[in-house]
Amino acid sequence: MNNYNQTTGEVSDYSQLPIWKKYAWMDILYVGYGLLIVALVLVSYILGMFNWLPYDPQQINMDMLMAPPFSEGYLLGTDFMGRDIQSRIVMGIQAYFLPGLLAISISLAAGIVLGVLSGYLGGSVETVVTYFTNLIDSFPRLVLILLVVAAFKPDIYYIMMVMGITGIPAVATAIANKIRFLAQKNFIEAAIALGLRTRVIIFKHILWYNCRALLIIQATLGMGEAILLESSLSYLGFGVQEPMPSWGNMVQSGSNYFLQGNFWPSTAPALAILFTILGFNLLGDGLNNILEGRRGK
Amino acid sequence: MSRTILDVKQLSKNYRRHRSFFSSLNRASDTIPAVDNVSFYLRENETMGLVGESGCGKTTVGRTILRLTSATSGSVFFDGLDITHLTDREMRPVRKDMQMIFQDLDAGLNPKMRVYDILKEAICVHARLSDAEVENKSRMLLEQVNLKTSKLASYPAELSGGEKRRIGIARVLAVGARMIVADEPTSALDVSIQAQVVNLLRDLQKELGLSYLFISHDLQVVELMSDKVAVMYLGRIVEMGLAGTIAMAARHPYTYILWSSLVEKQNREASQNTKKIDRRAAWGVFDFERPSSGCRFAPRCPVYEQHGRPRECTDPENEPQLRDVGEGHQVACHFPLCG
Amino acid sequence: MPPLLKVENLRTYFYSRSKQSFVRAVDGVSLEVGHGETVGLVGESGSGKSISAMSMMGLLDAGPGVIGGNIHYAGSRVQKNLLEDLESFVRIKEEHGRVMEVSKDEAGWHKHSECLMQNLRGREISMIFQNPRASLNPYITVGEQITEAIRLHTAIKSAKEARERALYWLEQVKIDSPRLRFNSYTSAMSGGMCQRAMIAMALSSEPSLLIADEPTTGLDATIQSKIVDLLDELKKGTGISTLLISHDISVISRLSDRVAVMYGGAVVEYGNGKLLLDKGETRKHPYTAALLASVLNEQNIRDKSNLQAIEGDVLDTIKVPPGCRFHARCNRITPDVREKCATHHPDLQEVAPGHQIRCWLFATRD
Repeated sequence: MNNYNQTTGEVSDYSQLPIWKKYAWMDILYVGYGLLIVALVLVSYILGMFNWLPYDPQQINMDMLMAPPFSEGYLLGTDFMGRDIQSRIVMGIQAYFLPGLLAISISLAAGIVLGVLSGYLGGSVETVVTYFTNLIDSFPRLVLILLVVAAFKPDIYYIMMVMGITGIPAVATAIANKIRFLAQKNFIEAAIALGLRTRVIIFKHILWYNCRALLIIQATLGMGEAILLESSLSYLGFGVQEPMPSWGNMVQSGSNYFLQGNFWPSTAPALAILFTILGFNLLGDGLNNILEGRRGK
Repeated sequence: MSRTILDVKQLSKNYRRHRSFFSSLNRASDTIPAVDNVSFYLRENETMGLVGESGCGKTTVGRTILRLTSATSGSVFFDGLDITHLTDREMRPVRKDMQMIFQDLDAGLNPKMRVYDILKEAICVHARLSDAEVENKSRMLLEQVNLKTSKLASYPAELSGGEKRRIGIARVLAVGARMIVADEPTSALDVSIQAQVVNLLRDLQKELGLSYLFISHDLQVVELMSDKVAVMYLGRIVEMGLAGTIAMAARHPYTYILWSSLVEKQNREASQNTKKIDRRAAWGVFDFERPSSGCRFAPRCPVYEQHGRPRECTDPENEPQLRDVGEGHQVACHFPLCG
Repeated sequence: MPPLLKVENLRTYFYSRSKQSFVRAVDGVSLEVGHGETVGLVGESGSGKSISAMSMMGLLDAGPGVIGGNIHYAGSRVQKNLLEDLESFVRIKEEHGRVMEVSKDEAGWHKHSECLMQNLRGREISMIFQNPRASLNPYITVGEQITEAIRLHTAIKSAKEARERALYWLEQVKIDSPRLRFNSYTSAMSGGMCQRAMIAMALSSEPSLLIADEPTTGLDATIQSKIVDLLDELKKGTGISTLLISHDISVISRLSDRVAVMYGGAVVEYGNGKLLLDKGETRKHPYTAALLASVLNEQNIRDKSNLQAIEGDVLDTIKVPPGCRFHARCNRITPDVREKCATHHPDLQEVAPGHQIRCWLFATRD
């Protein structure tokens, strides 16, 4: 049964709904959760940077091996070497935060440049850029990374550069398509006809007003992917090496003790990976729905 | 005798490999002459109407004049200045005086900007004014287009069609336009709103001394608004003259068919029996791809049929050129109708 | 003989969640289409004419949709009320004559309505739409679409016969080279040809009623006149009844026998076409009069004068005023009806046999 009620007051010209009713509550939940995760990551990064941690992540405590969570003094317990898991998890963020930022910066910066060139200039520029992005797209990311790892040292920054480069096509095509869409609606021509400077048209009208949602979303998704990539690589042994903590290598080293029944040292970092990537992805998804897609119903 | 504000000489614009609706019937040719050798001039405070069916190139003429696309050949003089080959930078100060009203009501209205911001941007393009002056000017502009100043705070999505059209006009005035190319200004609007917009455009012309290039497929509005009219067919002007002459005493068969297809006229003609030629003209395929074999209208021309398909009409060397037939009236036809 | 289609007090509302208000798109429309008659429905955007047609065909998705009224269809083969039993699915609460609350079992009504419309849509009642290219399937040929319709809606089931019939109708709509068009896709056809194809498809099932929603809008001037000619010929040839919806008064006046003028979701004037649209006739609803006056005519052109525009904007059906819908824009209010116009919504009154006007200026004494 569907119920509808007419408001008793005067009908206003503008939307009456408060934020929580304007958008689907699922999307608001996603965005809320995502923002929470982002905040946690940021705070943890700063804590880790200044080493304001409860324990030294590398300090071994042979008395308390494999302590379960909520043990005395150790909120998340300890691992197989008595090291505090909480501190290690917080420290593990160092491994991917800056490199992840590098990756998304590369994707966005280069993607914006190529997208704008391709969309705005069209013609042969568009063709060249399309070929170029298709070329990048056609390489499987992991293969490229392993190549880089084999050719150079397994430096996380090199790896993230590759990740950034492979992320360019998504951004470039999204922006180029948006520009094409705007052009179809005479949007850009009207701006030119008015006499606006090209610089203004591109930065203000196209990028800021029309593309910022897209870019934010690409950034959040990119960060999620960066985390996954870094964790996978350290799990495989290519990334951060012991005893420096990284979520991936924590899972790896803890896995030796998994079958003995001590599954916490391995599970804790895995859960961290899960919830964090989920947070970034949901943030991107929720923002996408709110800003671009279904604007409420 | 007022000065000439716009002078177009032999303007041509070719598009390459334009996908046409009929490409499955004929193979697409390499270049489409969307605008072919168009020449006319517009004086200050004058309105020139440009009519034709969709695809005839009238919109392209407007866009090329404003340098929104570059001309393939020919020249455009604005206020005596040759603007055909100016760089974008050099064009910018010229754009202050020549503006366009687009067919799409949303063109130029960024959905994320309020009306005030949109107008402010337009005002500040070529002038530096203080905030107070900008606000003043925007109020004045809204009053000029008969909108309540409370609309300044609205977003384009909250405006009706007529209101959007007026904001578009206000935006163009804000920059300081003296000549406006109006591309189908009334097409997307309701009948009662169309009347309002037509009145507004007329009043503004009287008040501000504007010149209009009025592009439309609505023949009656064009007849009302324009001093002179040019009829285009497949990229060429086939007839040009004073508005009244074109409407009442058309000499090109296409012009005659066009005007007589007004349903209202049919209703009247049916009762008065004053048809000159049977407007159930042979319906030829509207085809850009067909190579021009002389007169482009020949496949659809009933006069061509009536005269037993004379060879001049299809002779590629003998494409009909615009010829003076008196009083500023020009026709491009080998067998023009009698006046 | 009862009229082919009799619409009584049709009400279709939508709801705007963001403004917490009903959109009273169609608010009490009543009209009739007799056998062999063409009724023109004139109005601007927001008048509710298209929504009325969609309501009649049961093609509305948004909630709440149709909430009241009766649509009596009395064809030769089928007679029924298309909104039968609507009351059991809808509950309305009114305050001071205005609807304030609606409860509707939309899913249930949708199923019930589909049952009711089952053999009618496409078979007895056909509809053609404004943008022909958007209404035809671009991925299959025109011929396939028409034959599909034929096999679905008529007794013809064999492919060969359906093809013959489709070609017959393509010829009837005067499309050039019917055999060629039969195998074409819509991308290869111009707007006018697509419209003809759609008309062929609609008529191929030999319906009793054709609903044409803005069939000439968006087409070039020369093509518009040809489609109008075609509809005129088909009307005379097949004797089909038509409900013609358009904002183009010249098209309506050429093709319609009776005309209904809509404004703000209600029919404001209803009567014989020639009479209604004749400018000389003095008894007219102020909106009709203003609309006719605002349309460009020879007089304006001769005098090069400004047009007589109607002030204000077309009614926003979210903010429906309590009195007459046209009150804010009316230029014929006299002091003695002023108050009534502002507070009470007038009913349709018969001012002459077959001519009804909804206006306090013409209301007879109670």
